[in-house]
Amino acid sequence: MLRASAACEKAGFPTSSLTCEGFFKQGKATSIGLGFPNIGLALVPGHIGTKSTEQLRQDILHTTLDEVIKNLTSFDQVGQASQEPHPKAVVARGDFFAINEQFYASGYTDGLPIVPPTQTLIDAFLSYTELEADEVLGVMLPDKRAATVWSVAVNGVMAGCKPQYMPILIALVQAMADPSYGVEHSGNTPGADTLIILNGPIIKELAFNDQQGALRDGFMPNTSIGRFFRLYLRNVAGFHLHKTDKATFGNTWRVVLAENEEVLAEIDWPTIGMDMGFARGENVLTIARYSGGGSLSSVSGSTPEQLLPYLADSIERFNNWQITFTTSHGNGTLRPLAVITPILARSLANAGWSKLRVQEWLFEHARRPAWEFERQLKEWNIRGTWDLTKDAKEGKIPALFLESEDPNRLVPIVWKPSDLMIAVGGDPLRNNAYVFAHNAFLGFPTAKKILLPKNWSERVRSPSQGSA
Amino acid sequence: MSEPQHNGWFEALWPRGALQQKKLNLAPRLESLKGKKVAQLWDDLFKGDVVFEILEQGLRQRFPDIEFVSWREFGNTHGADEKEALKRLPDKLRELGVDAVISGMAC
Repeated sequence: MLRASAACEKAGFPTSSLTCEGFFKQGKATSIGLGFPNIGLALVPGHIGTKSTEQLRQDILHTTLDEVIKNLTSFDQVGQASQEPHPKAVVARGDFFAINEQFYASGYTDGLPIVPPTQTLIDAFLSYTELEADEVLGVMLPDKRAATVWSVAVNGVMAGCKPQYMPILIALVQAMADPSYGVEHSGNTPGADTLIILNGPIIKELAFNDQQGALRDGFMPNTSIGRFFRLYLRNVAGFHLHKTDKATFGNTWRVVLAENEEVLAEIDWPTIGMDMGFARGENVLTIARYSGGGSLSSVSGSTPEQLLPYLADSIERFNNWQITFTTSHGNGTLRPLAVITPILARSLANAGWSKLRVQEWLFEHARRPAWEFERQLKEWNIRGTWDLTKDAKEGKIPALFLESEDPNRLVPIVWKPSDLMIAVGGDPLRNNAYVFAHNAFLGFPTAKKILLPKNWSERVRSPSQGSA
Repeated sequence: MSEPQHNGWFEALWPRGALQQKKLNLAPRLESLKGKKVAQLWDDLFKGDVVFEILEQGLRQRFPDIEFVSWREFGNTHGADEKEALKRLPDKLRELGVDAVISGMAC
């Protein structure tokens, strides 16, 4: 909404932005990165979602109306912004504890101790890339700061990464800065968190955990790179709780999911990296943002038809309100992710099923009645004016959503089979799975190739195990 | 990572990045809403349709000759095609002779 207001102001139209009480601080903070620190916000007291129409009328007429008029006929002057440090400035001196206290007080950390980012350590990270330290990889909202190779190194040090993770960190920031990912939405209220999926020989070279205990901390590369992502969101994109990060319920960062490449090669299924357009054997990093999900215990059966109903049912259930992105609002950008274990993948492949065939089956069966689809969004959620039939008739969603007018007809939760993403990982001999509910265009799957320095293989030491 | 040459003393560098956005000037404000045409922009969320209806009533009471361009004219300003929608916006506002904009809903 504020981005729309900023576009109007730039074009010479005065604006007033209707802002619920809980969003006022975020509105003020976000407006700075948009270039209009004094953009007019009109307060809507409380939250609209829990008001009767009569209460809403009173609040709008008694509070919001005056603020709208004020916003359109006047504006507040703003003072000069305070001077920030030079990007390569020393900002804290002292012992480990003093540095950590200063960084925490300045809002640079997540509450856990960081490794003090000194010039020597930063240089060690920079030695693992051919890029110049000052190269700008992108500019990120809400702060609109330059995402430089230098700042990648600084935050990599802080997160507890090793210098040799630097090529992955650079690819990660390139993905974050890619407009198709939508980093600017990272502070939305569902509190979605990004999952980093890794493919390629770098998994073994850097000793990522690609076995039992996937998605859990305990292995340095998986954990510290996950932490780096959040630190970078904080320090460079500018997402801070109680200001620009409006997560109602968040999570600690997600650790990196390294796919089980051996099993995928053995059963000749494409990796996530290949699904994203890269070749088998390339080092690729993919990110996407997920607003929920959960594990499936004991997916049982000896044939695909016996194994897949549980998975289809869970994909449909876990992607609950997220179907809002299946409609015209999200333009079909929902990409649920199912992570299945090697034993499940092998069982499906041994029956002669390709990954695409599994996706097609899931697409046909992860469905819900049209009336339930509509009830979720129109009655329970925030889409009072939206209509499934109208969306389909206007061609804004595929015709298969309106194959009949029967409210009991089953409709899919995505537009096509390949929208249901499947990764392979976790305990090789346990028949469990995990389903992620996706946040659609507010964190769309985006992949980047990891570029290694020329002397990579000589410099990578033999892998050492984490907590195993 | 340890760094023995510092003997427990560190000089830590700034972890952020240079701001790329300069402060811009807001559009000139109107003297009054009397006789003006006000556009409504909506992200299709949080009962904006109801809010705009109430606001219209309130503004008409104070400025009887005020005009409105409904949010229906502009489509969703926050969906998956937000970037394209916002690009089209200035021309559309000019074409419709709009004087000011009310944009919602941030909730």
